[in-house]
Amino acid sequence: MPSLRELQSGVMRALLDGEPDGALPLIAARGIAPKHRLDVYANNARANFIESLISSYPAVRRLVGEDYFRQCARGFHTRHPSLSGDLQSAGAGFAKHLSELHGDDEFRYLSEVARLEWLVEESLLAADHGPLDLAKLQRVPAAGYDDLRFCLHPSARLFASKYPCVAIWEANVGSDAEPELIDLGGGPDRALLVRSRGRLNCHRLSCGEERFLESVQAGETFTAAVERAAARNEGDTAADAAACPFDAAAALQRFVLAGVIVDVR
Amino acid sequence: MDNGARSITCAATVSPVPANAGIGPRADIGPRAGIGLRAQHHLEVLSDAPAVAWFEAHTENYFADGGAHVEALGRIRANYPLSLHGVGLSLGSTDPLDTRHLERVRRAVNRFEPELLSEHLSWSSVGGRFANDLLPLPYTEEALRHVSSRIAQAQDFLGRRILIENVSSYLQFECSRMPEWEFLGAVAAESGCGILLDLNNIYVAARNFGFDAQRYLDAVDPGAVLEIHLAGHSAVEFEGQELLIDTHGTPVCDAVWNLYRAALRRFGDVPTLIEWDTDIPALEVLAAEAAKADALRAEVHALAA
Repeated sequence: MPSLRELQSGVMRALLDGEPDGALPLIAARGIAPKHRLDVYANNARANFIESLISSYPAVRRLVGEDYFRQCARGFHTRHPSLSGDLQSAGAGFAKHLSELHGDDEFRYLSEVARLEWLVEESLLAADHGPLDLAKLQRVPAAGYDDLRFCLHPSARLFASKYPCVAIWEANVGSDAEPELIDLGGGPDRALLVRSRGRLNCHRLSCGEERFLESVQAGETFTAAVERAAARNEGDTAADAAACPFDAAAALQRFVLAGVIVDVR
Repeated sequence: MDNGARSITCAATVSPVPANAGIGPRADIGPRAGIGLRAQHHLEVLSDAPAVAWFEAHTENYFADGGAHVEALGRIRANYPLSLHGVGLSLGSTDPLDTRHLERVRRAVNRFEPELLSEHLSWSSVGGRFANDLLPLPYTEEALRHVSSRIAQAQDFLGRRILIENVSSYLQFECSRMPEWEFLGAVAAESGCGILLDLNNIYVAARNFGFDAQRYLDAVDPGAVLEIHLAGHSAVEFEGQELLIDTHGTPVCDAVWNLYRAALRRFGDVPTLIEWDTDIPALEVLAAEAAKADALRAEVHALAA
């Protein structure tokens, strides 16, 4: 008699690796071949996994169509089966999988859209937090302003891509209308996802704002964040600099009012 | 995690769940039939406050730190009795018990304070890989000892008794040494868990393996059954042989309603749930199935009186 461990290992190889030889002799036929009986479970496992990807990646699915999406999801399941009893986390590496499939062809942007959709998932499931308590900010003595560290809402996720992925994503979720044509050269897109009052907001960012929020999210002081936002990056052109002016007071106001900055230390 | 996801440095607050917000003490789960709660019905339940006796939600669907689903369940829970029903603990697995998963179950229990808490007599993972399906165990002494000790471990961790549900199955292992009903009863006796008897799963297994469903009911200790599930199934064919598949995606069939009559006579007024997990219909359809269960209950008890 096989041990429980041996039996389970054999069945799992049949379900996830398509190698039923170890499991077949363990199963009673009773009118239906053991292979068919195992297939019912293998199909369930795959279908449940793919359903989870479908719910996480609606824009990618719409972009590539049902058949190709399922083909990609199936390949992803074979290489990266679920490692948790909660299928919610199953789609975590799908963007990387797509980048391996389409790393250097005209569908390079697909994995970037998938990366954005996974950040959307993370943002939707992150912890709740109330708005910034302005009285707490007022209690900070003037001498302490330089060392202020702001905290972003737990659902805040920064996204940047050289492709106009935010526009692509927006055009492919929430509406069944034929999406407008988007120029792939129309990027880059920089955005912040954050939940506020029960809904997910997507704020487009200037490159200064992006650097400011990156710095705040990394736990740097307000002074350091403003310096990083205003600094020119190596390789920035004059046009980049002109397109990315950074006004610290305006940025602070914007992100407090939008529920992005929610605490101060 | 992908490159784009930066670490979050702020402490997160656990979303506050209103306790009995504004409408007096919440009733316990009574004998009236409840229905499975799915996310697509959250808004309707919150806005229309339908006359549903109680709800059962899949525990894993409310594992998130925060967000809309967790908030909705908190508000629904304030107005209705609740059961949390887990599908991912893999209690029968020979891997170490997943304490991270168990910790998240405990967090959900602390958040939503369900009256009933249940899982399955099954396994879904080994070697760290998950099929995320309810796989049947071999009915052996080894599996009996193993799963009973795991259920006891989970109950100790959670600090409460859980109910364990019989699953549908499409295969039997050659090494099984006892019928499922005997295994289920022994697991309940050894681990101290309650039994959630899914009558559709009994019917599916009975048809698939050619035993009498009534015999299953007759063998289960009436004192151990604390909840009943009713659901629908589908059929597929392999080489002319029919195999019933537990899709939980169709109305309860007449044969399962008949089994429910028999169960009511044997187990008395046990909380009953209408379960519908795929192709989810409008709330009214679920409520009508629950009303049908309530009517049957009244009929059976009137006859008994």
